[in-house]
Amino acid sequence: MWREPMSKYNICSVLVHAKQDKIDSVKMTLEGQQGVEVHAKSEDGRLIVTIEDEFRKQVGDRIMGFYEIDGVLSASMIYQFSDDEFNEQEIIEIQSTEERMSA
Amino acid sequence: MKMTRREFVKNNAIAATATAAGVTIPGIKDVMAASEDKIRWDKAPCRFCGTGCSVLVGTQNDKIVATQGDPDAPVNRGLNCIKGYFLSKIMYGKDRLTKPLLRKTDGVYDKEGEFEEVSWDEAFDIMAVKWKEALKNDMQANKGKAADKITSTVGMFGSGQWTIFEGYAASKLMKAGFRSNHIDPNARHCMASAVGAFIRGFGSDEPMGCYDDLEHADAFVLWGSNMAEMHPILWTRITDTRLTKKDSEVHVLSTFKHRSFDLADNGMVFTPQTDMVILNYIANYIIQNKAYDKSFMDKHVNFKKTTTDIGYGLRPEHELEKKRTGTGGKLSGISFEEYAKSVEEYTLEYASKLSGVPEKNLLRLAKLYAHPTKKITSLWTMGFNQHTRGVWTNGLMYNVHLLTGKISQPGNGPFSLTGQPSACGTAREVGTFSHRLPADYVVKKKAHRDFAEKIWELPEGTIPGKPGYHAVLQNRMLKDSKLNVYWVMCNNNVQAAANLNEETMPGYRNPDNFIVTSDPYPTVTAIASDLILPTSMWTEKEGAYGNAERRTQFWRQQVSAPGESKSDLWQLMEFAKRFKMEEVWPADLLAKSPQYKGKTLFNVLFENGQVNKFKKQTVMDDRGNKYQNDEMEDFGFYPQKGLFEEYRRFQLEGVKKGHEQADFDTYHKVRGLRWPVVDGKETLWRYAEGYDPYVKKGEGFKFYGKKDGRANIITAPYEAAAESPDAEYDLWLSTGRVLEHWHSGSMTRRVPELYRAFPDAVVFMHPEDAKARGLRRGLTAKIISRRGEVECQVETRGRNRPPKGLVFVPWFDAGRLINKVTLDATDPLSKETDYKKCAIKIEKA
Repeated sequence: MWREPMSKYNICSVLVHAKQDKIDSVKMTLEGQQGVEVHAKSEDGRLIVTIEDEFRKQVGDRIMGFYEIDGVLSASMIYQFSDDEFNEQEIIEIQSTEERMSA
Repeated sequence: MKMTRREFVKNNAIAATATAAGVTIPGIKDVMAASEDKIRWDKAPCRFCGTGCSVLVGTQNDKIVATQGDPDAPVNRGLNCIKGYFLSKIMYGKDRLTKPLLRKTDGVYDKEGEFEEVSWDEAFDIMAVKWKEALKNDMQANKGKAADKITSTVGMFGSGQWTIFEGYAASKLMKAGFRSNHIDPNARHCMASAVGAFIRGFGSDEPMGCYDDLEHADAFVLWGSNMAEMHPILWTRITDTRLTKKDSEVHVLSTFKHRSFDLADNGMVFTPQTDMVILNYIANYIIQNKAYDKSFMDKHVNFKKTTTDIGYGLRPEHELEKKRTGTGGKLSGISFEEYAKSVEEYTLEYASKLSGVPEKNLLRLAKLYAHPTKKITSLWTMGFNQHTRGVWTNGLMYNVHLLTGKISQPGNGPFSLTGQPSACGTAREVGTFSHRLPADYVVKKKAHRDFAEKIWELPEGTIPGKPGYHAVLQNRMLKDSKLNVYWVMCNNNVQAAANLNEETMPGYRNPDNFIVTSDPYPTVTAIASDLILPTSMWTEKEGAYGNAERRTQFWRQQVSAPGESKSDLWQLMEFAKRFKMEEVWPADLLAKSPQYKGKTLFNVLFENGQVNKFKKQTVMDDRGNKYQNDEMEDFGFYPQKGLFEEYRRFQLEGVKKGHEQADFDTYHKVRGLRWPVVDGKETLWRYAEGYDPYVKKGEGFKFYGKKDGRANIITAPYEAAAESPDAEYDLWLSTGRVLEHWHSGSMTRRVPELYRAFPDAVVFMHPEDAKARGLRRGLTAKIISRRGEVECQVETRGRNRPPKGLVFVPWFDAGRLINKVTLDATDPLSKETDYKKCAIKIEKA
């Protein structure tokens, strides 16, 4: 059943812990990289980051590069997904908590 | 609400990260909580280091498509290190082995032949022929000999990456089946010194504390450990404590500057081997300033001294071995005053002079340990363990904590970290070392062998009483033709063992020997062998690991293995079917258990009513998801459960208390438990009242591994390294790991991104050392020792900054085998190799 995967879609989320006095420059450096988005930052220096690509090559390279950014204390992988048979445009129906409560 | 699958996956990724960070992002979490997912999620411990992070594994169509840091895991709380990202990819390397491969010429086995694909039947046929030949010779040689005198030519090299079940089955197959103690794990290379010191100091292996110390402590001291790269998740926890706890501090000691120094309040680079001097100095400082805890010492400590000048574990004909005056580790009792006298010479001036660390830094460190209330956690890994005085040095660390009573309390304690996912759970606890039996029992004690034989239902005298060949000795004995059939599982020892040119390779290619390697990939070791068996890895089988804080964690099989791969467990058990008892045991032994006549080794070891006790069943989680179990399918019973429950009898029915684990089914439900597990409760701090169920009210502490309940402070002097730089070989060589690659790189180098991130080993060196040899960054250097040479590019910048006089080379690179250069000197007590110190010279290539 085993086969070599050829991912079409690849995403990874990373929790980056930066030195407090360098958090803004770290955020800017991250946002300047292709496929990288910063979704939130906490007061104590944590950044919620995602990296996406479609060729399976960039995500890993990008993460390895995070450590080289001046001011980064640690970078932790939180969630990773890659699938070769991924139908990314498929519309799915989901219930939010609110909808579920009223159902 | 409608969204695309892509948006949905991305939302999940953001939500999980926000949860781990404790940050709220409006709207995101709602979606996560209510969504129905096509992916089946289940927990598994990470495949890499000894931290034991739990990972959620997402499977779809028999393939792992996603992983996530397990938010319910106490170890990693939703985080994974960067290697976690690549976990699912290690199974899908392009050159994954899918069929057995045998060296052949003209259709028949030939040691000088080329690898050809063969069936499992043909692979086991040739193996059985070779094993039976060796066993026949052994039986001849052992005629009339008692159990404590018998010898064997059958060997096995195992792993701290084996599952608990695999290690247990291998140990039983070797020690009870083939009657050979020549089984040792690769954990010999990483943890043996730690084990030795635990047994000498406390009479029981493994740390007293746990990872909760990382939040409770006020100060952290790293001794020979680069946690920032090697244990990143634990380092994240220390970083959090350091940045949020007032007056907390971090001290880092190493023989070169590395990434952990970024967080250090007191960073210290010392001359190799002088960690012993610094530790003795701290003890002296504590005594001189009366900062010790007298009442603790009076009640809970004995003072001992050890035999000294014990050599370097080299071959007996080596010059250094002829010069030594002492042997072994005999301890003799001394008084506190005698102990105090023994460390008197280690003054601040002397320690600073020998170590090269400025006095003010050493004084700050000593004052920290002497502080009356500051809670201190000391952490170490290979710096202490891969050390020709590793047992002593681990012990010197315990001395400091025992003098001050800063031990077995939240935030207070010496903590020996491990490098492999189950160095503790499998190699140490199951007893896959050449001298051990399960649960801290040892082969040399008759009572212990009797106990094992009772549980395993074997006639008296089955298990040999002489400790077998340890890792380093196995390679020497292969070379000397004393070991003739040899099975390597779940490790890459040709790349890992020191002195490859002079010892390892000649042993593997010795025409007298037949070498089998089981591995998922064609490693250096596999290619040096005669037969390669394709192996299922990680979540392609059901498994269990035990991490550095005594936490036992289980996982279910998630996906099928590729091609004809089979797990190590299947291989061990299935191979046992090839032997009639008459072919493995002599007639006089078999006569003591006539019911075993005509049976197979499989019948006796694995169809004994215990291992096959649990019938074939459906493996299901509490959400109703079903899982395959290939071994259960093949054998018709639940071997993992049977092996584990038989193993637990060693913990429950023997004289040694304090190793109890919970029952098999419990571990599939929880995020691991730290042993001893008594009445369903795990133990966070051993030996301390209020935490350890074996310490009674009013006792305070009890080091119950020792008969009198007292721990040992053992004095040991500084003794020089086996090989130090001289006029010709003028530099120290230290070897180790880098973040991107785990151990020999057999898994991580097959992930393209990791390969690109750190493709080849480099030699980290001081720019002035490079310049003096006509080199600079990016040029190729030749690294030469008395034993061999390799070529590497020079790196004078970057993460590792050695001082002048020392270079660092990582060992992950199969194309630049640094172990051609290293020396196979070991700690004579633990038999662990010192990979951190030998003398080399560097020339421009």
